[in-house]
Amino acid sequence: MSISESETPLSVSRRSWGDEEVFAEEIKRIFSKTWQFVAHESEMPEPGDYVQRKMGLDRVIVIRSEDGVVRVFLNSCRHRGVPLCRADEGNTSHFRCSYHGWTYANTGELRGVTYQPDVYGKNGIDKSTLGLYEPAQVDTFMGLVFANWDPDAIPLNEYLGDLKWYLHAILGKFDGGMEVVGTPVRNIVQANWKTEGENLSGDGYHTMVTHATAVELGLFATTADLEKLTENLKPRFSGRTVDCGNGHTIRVQRLPVEIDENMYWGYPAYMWESFDRNLDKGQQEMMSALSVTHGSIFPNASFLENFKTNVDGPDLHARYIRFTVRYPISATQCEVVWFLFRPKEADPVWNRLSSLAYLRTNGPSGVFEIDDAENFVGISEASVGAIARELDVTYLGGLNHPQTTESVGWPGRVVDGDKTERTLRAFHRQWAEFMGAESRVVS
Amino acid sequence: MNSIYAPPFKEKSDNFAGLDVHAGIALFLSREAEAADSRNYVDWLRLVDENFTYRIPVPRTPDNPFAPHYDARALLIDESRWSLETQWFSRFDKKMYETSWAENPPVRFRHFVSNVRVRLVENESLLDVRSNVLLIGTRQSDAPKFISAERFDAVGVKGDSYTLVERWAVLDQSVIDFPQLRIML
Repeated sequence: MSISESETPLSVSRRSWGDEEVFAEEIKRIFSKTWQFVAHESEMPEPGDYVQRKMGLDRVIVIRSEDGVVRVFLNSCRHRGVPLCRADEGNTSHFRCSYHGWTYANTGELRGVTYQPDVYGKNGIDKSTLGLYEPAQVDTFMGLVFANWDPDAIPLNEYLGDLKWYLHAILGKFDGGMEVVGTPVRNIVQANWKTEGENLSGDGYHTMVTHATAVELGLFATTADLEKLTENLKPRFSGRTVDCGNGHTIRVQRLPVEIDENMYWGYPAYMWESFDRNLDKGQQEMMSALSVTHGSIFPNASFLENFKTNVDGPDLHARYIRFTVRYPISATQCEVVWFLFRPKEADPVWNRLSSLAYLRTNGPSGVFEIDDAENFVGISEASVGAIARELDVTYLGGLNHPQTTESVGWPGRVVDGDKTERTLRAFHRQWAEFMGAESRVVS
Repeated sequence: MNSIYAPPFKEKSDNFAGLDVHAGIALFLSREAEAADSRNYVDWLRLVDENFTYRIPVPRTPDNPFAPHYDARALLIDESRWSLETQWFSRFDKKMYETSWAENPPVRFRHFVSNVRVRLVENESLLDVRSNVLLIGTRQSDAPKFISAERFDAVGVKGDSYTLVERWAVLDQSVIDFPQLRIML
């Protein structure tokens, strides 16, 4: 099956957004072969703490075992396949199957087989071969837990590659580290799982159209807001996009200001000194006067750090950090999981403002998200027909943007300009590589 | 340190208000739903206190049957009268609605409010009002979707008139399947 068939060199077939055959291939070729974000370590602070998540269509348990190690298990008894865990989160030392009572330790070992001598004879079953099924590889980066079913996949460290420097700038600037704020929200979106991911990969082109009202409502820094922060304004926002390889990309947009020292607006002043200490010069440049940065971790996770203005009244501005993951359900449906992060050392007043900055803009019911979702849902709705599916989407944006000089000090392939489709091309190139489709998408 | 949010009243008393108060509150909640469903936000705001807050904790399936099916450390919605008036309702202003993409056309919302229970509390200027709500949302010409919740309201009493002071709504779905999550329960 040719999946990204296309007459033009910068397009991808719209089958990709609504075809169940393509979807079935994605589940096999992408979701059983790639590193996927499953949880953050702060969600499981104590031994026995667990959360239930998904990798592709498979439900998994992410648990901190008695020995302190975070493990990932397929949520399914090795006997007859019944799920062992029915809750979204909790704490347990063991999992006991409701069907025949097989019992597993939270390290995954099969400890008890009910009526074993009667059913299997004295040595009729080798429990050591029937522990909970685990991904071939589990690893963490800055507390982010990833898992991969493929034993031959490159290690996580290598897979994330140049993206690690950017993730460090986002998550690693705080002295006390980060934690996820409570249970993540989950919702069903009638859109293909790729749609939001390619947007968050670095689409700085849609902002002023899709989010026109959010800008008008004063939630996105205006000249009037910035004049209160500094005297030296520039006429336009500036931005860069970065191709980090392996389908990972990021966009960084800077506020239109001319400043001599680092200004981490949106964070309380007591944190600023630690940012200078914990970030290198290039990361400081990225985080100082930041408007927004977002990117996608191939295949289905995205991150966002954002400076939002007037969120709870005039001049009440804050940044927040959000991760989202999209679990595929069908070609036209996915489940979105929303993680709000916060610095452990933050004071309650700022925490609340940061939470409002998130919830009222890019939270599940925020004004940015509800307008985005209409586009995402619409793409799938309009791509399932016999005619539409044979057409291509167009990814020509940003081909004219110049490569930055190496002196910028940012890893990856960095380009000046963020009204672009460059990051989307990088996503679909990687997609085509896993799908075995001839990729006609160029960077 | 995680902050913990909470419904308006900690204790649940057996001190129910009289039937006349129940009838008055049921009418008040119906008027409020009517204003919301018809997107008559001028009328809706007249029923709402200056310091109104509206919160939905994150729903979840807990690991034991006695734990609440939400996490009070995290919120899905956290709004005030100010944010609702300026950030939600302004989107329907004539000069703005054309680019309020998610509201144009708007999701049609229909509230079904039932099982209203009114309890007297120590502070005589407030009532502890609990109700069940079924919200049906219809996006464009799609099939309708529904969401059910239990609402915990603090209702202010001034003579014969009522105002909504606080609303805390607990959703039953933990994976929310609804046309839009900007929902006024």
